[in-house]
Amino acid sequence: MQLRATTKFGRLVDEIEETSIAICLGLMAVVTFANVVARYAFDANILWALEVTVFLFAWLVLMGMSYGVKKHVHIGVDVIINAVSPKARQVLAIISVSLCLAFSLLLLKGAWDYWYPFATERAWLETDDIPMPEFLQFLADTMNEGERYEKIPRWIPYLALPLGVGLLTFRFLQLAWQIFTGKADRLIASHEAEELMEELEMVSPHAEPVRSVKPGKEG
Amino acid sequence: MEIAILFGMVIGMMLIGVPIAVALGLSSIIFLMTFSHGASLASVAQTLFSAFEGHYTLLAIPFFVLASVFMSTGGVANRIIRFAIAVVGSFRGGLAIASVFACMLFAALSGSSPATVVAIGSIVIAGMISVGYTREFAAGVICNAGTLGILIPPSIVMVVYAAATDVSVGRMFLAGVFPGLLAGLMLMIAIYIVARIKNLPAQPWAGWGEIFDSARDASWGLMLIIIILGGIYGGIFTPTEAAAVAAVYAFLIANFIYRDMGPFKAGMGSLAMVPFRAVSIFWHRDTKHALFEAGKLTIMLLFIIANALILKHVLTEERLPQAITEAMLSAGLGPITFLIVVNILLLIGGQFMEPSGLLIIVAPLVFPIAIALGIDPIHLGIIMVVNMEIGMITPPVGLNLFVTAGVAKMSVTDVIKAALPWVTIMFLFLIIVTYVPAVSTWLPTTLMGPEVITK
Repeated sequence: MQLRATTKFGRLVDEIEETSIAICLGLMAVVTFANVVARYAFDANILWALEVTVFLFAWLVLMGMSYGVKKHVHIGVDVIINAVSPKARQVLAIISVSLCLAFSLLLLKGAWDYWYPFATERAWLETDDIPMPEFLQFLADTMNEGERYEKIPRWIPYLALPLGVGLLTFRFLQLAWQIFTGKADRLIASHEAEELMEELEMVSPHAEPVRSVKPGKEG
Repeated sequence: MEIAILFGMVIGMMLIGVPIAVALGLSSIIFLMTFSHGASLASVAQTLFSAFEGHYTLLAIPFFVLASVFMSTGGVANRIIRFAIAVVGSFRGGLAIASVFACMLFAALSGSSPATVVAIGSIVIAGMISVGYTREFAAGVICNAGTLGILIPPSIVMVVYAAATDVSVGRMFLAGVFPGLLAGLMLMIAIYIVARIKNLPAQPWAGWGEIFDSARDASWGLMLIIIILGGIYGGIFTPTEAAAVAAVYAFLIANFIYRDMGPFKAGMGSLAMVPFRAVSIFWHRDTKHALFEAGKLTIMLLFIIANALILKHVLTEERLPQAITEAMLSAGLGPITFLIVVNILLLIGGQFMEPSGLLIIVAPLVFPIAIALGIDPIHLGIIMVVNMEIGMITPPVGLNLFVTAGVAKMSVTDVIKAALPWVTIMFLFLIIVTYVPAVSTWLPTTLMGPEVITK
């Protein structure tokens, strides 16, 4: 099920999400690579490289899960739902999406409970290596009793939890609405051959079935 | 009993169409709230976050996925296939044998099986049909050979196993080399025998010049495996860094050497503009597209793995692995029966579950027993990977089957039938790998010294 946004606003949101995913992964690769270069070429270590990459990784996945729900990226078992009647399929989809909502709401509570202390009584707790950029120093006044942060406080990277799970809940709600109104019949990626092919062509847009196996000279 | 309820919930939810990740996560949360006192939802959120913060090994996954996406552009696969045909194409059944060889080579650039099927299969299946092979034969061969993607290093599934059991990624990669070669060789021999019986065509011998030429042409791509393995074993970088370097290398090769993506795809253009266009790779549409596709795949995989980690957390809290170990050992379970049990468990599980998630759950359960029985953890890892391979080519949830169906333009049912004869080869291979540990352990032990088992 390839879901292209139909409204202008929908396309804009898609574009923002897709670009963020690309930038996040790109930055992770560049920072890690730069650290290797720094070690061998300049005999130096980028101290914060690993921690930044780890947090980017967390943001990529935690914020990206909701995008996956929207685009039906998440995989599951479709043997039974393909075998039953459309009516039964809708019932199963309603049960499934309710379970997903239960999951995301419980997790949202957990994410909030986990994050909240880091933003309040433990707001002084800093990351290990990431220096605090000057433009964020104003946070020190409100959150750290005026004492300057040397490193980024931990609640900033951990913010991905409540934000990401919140978005996830929102997307599951949207999906629940689509299932109720009959616009979607499942939550998971479908494995129909044609649709899969469409996706594959997106993955490797240049892989065409060619008969001649010799590549032409490029240039 | 409680555990049966837990796994019952997971399986029940998966069967009615709940995404695998949610089925794992929600079952664990419900279990924690019902049976385990003192566990909070906040600790679940923390476990979820620890998938990133606490497991540096898993960080290699997005980079291997990214390298694989850059390498999946048509050019690299084309060059590998040309080289493979030049080397083994002149045997009877040569194009099919070359396809297996090409899958092995591509597996060394990519850590994923479906990616291997797509990259090689989308080119060679049409080629095989055009010289007179049946569509079923071509699809069956590719579907099976593609599974080598997770056995020949680098491999995403091995990274997951290493993260779940704290063995070294480097050792796992080395351990996959011989089994990968063996599996490829067994498939090739089987094809050769079938080709003799069915009188399948051979390609003309192209001569040493063509082998040399095609090797040189493909060498830019094949360098990647040397960078990864050489870098890790030379102690130049960690597996995660190796993956990132591989991703950057693949990006540069695809853009500047093979030019099958990015600003130079349509030719060099005017010389004065070259520097500007070279810099434009950073914001080029193709770059963004590749990054996005890799990101999407990473999100899908890690969402499952992170939730599987929650389930693993529950299992360890309940001291389930220890309980199972004691029960098994007191029942007088020997290594051979144990390995049979592991194989059956994984074969059944592998039919329903995505390999990475399944490994995260099963590995901690069987790992302590294996250690107690004196089974090498690396050997156990390779057994598990081979089981996952078979899971990918057996219904109902064999990812390779679906991908092959798409690439070969056949129905999934037909692909299942086409793949079946070759699956028996993989079963034979599984038996060899299970009962001849040296196949897996000899290379890592020779190069890195004997395994030190802690626990």
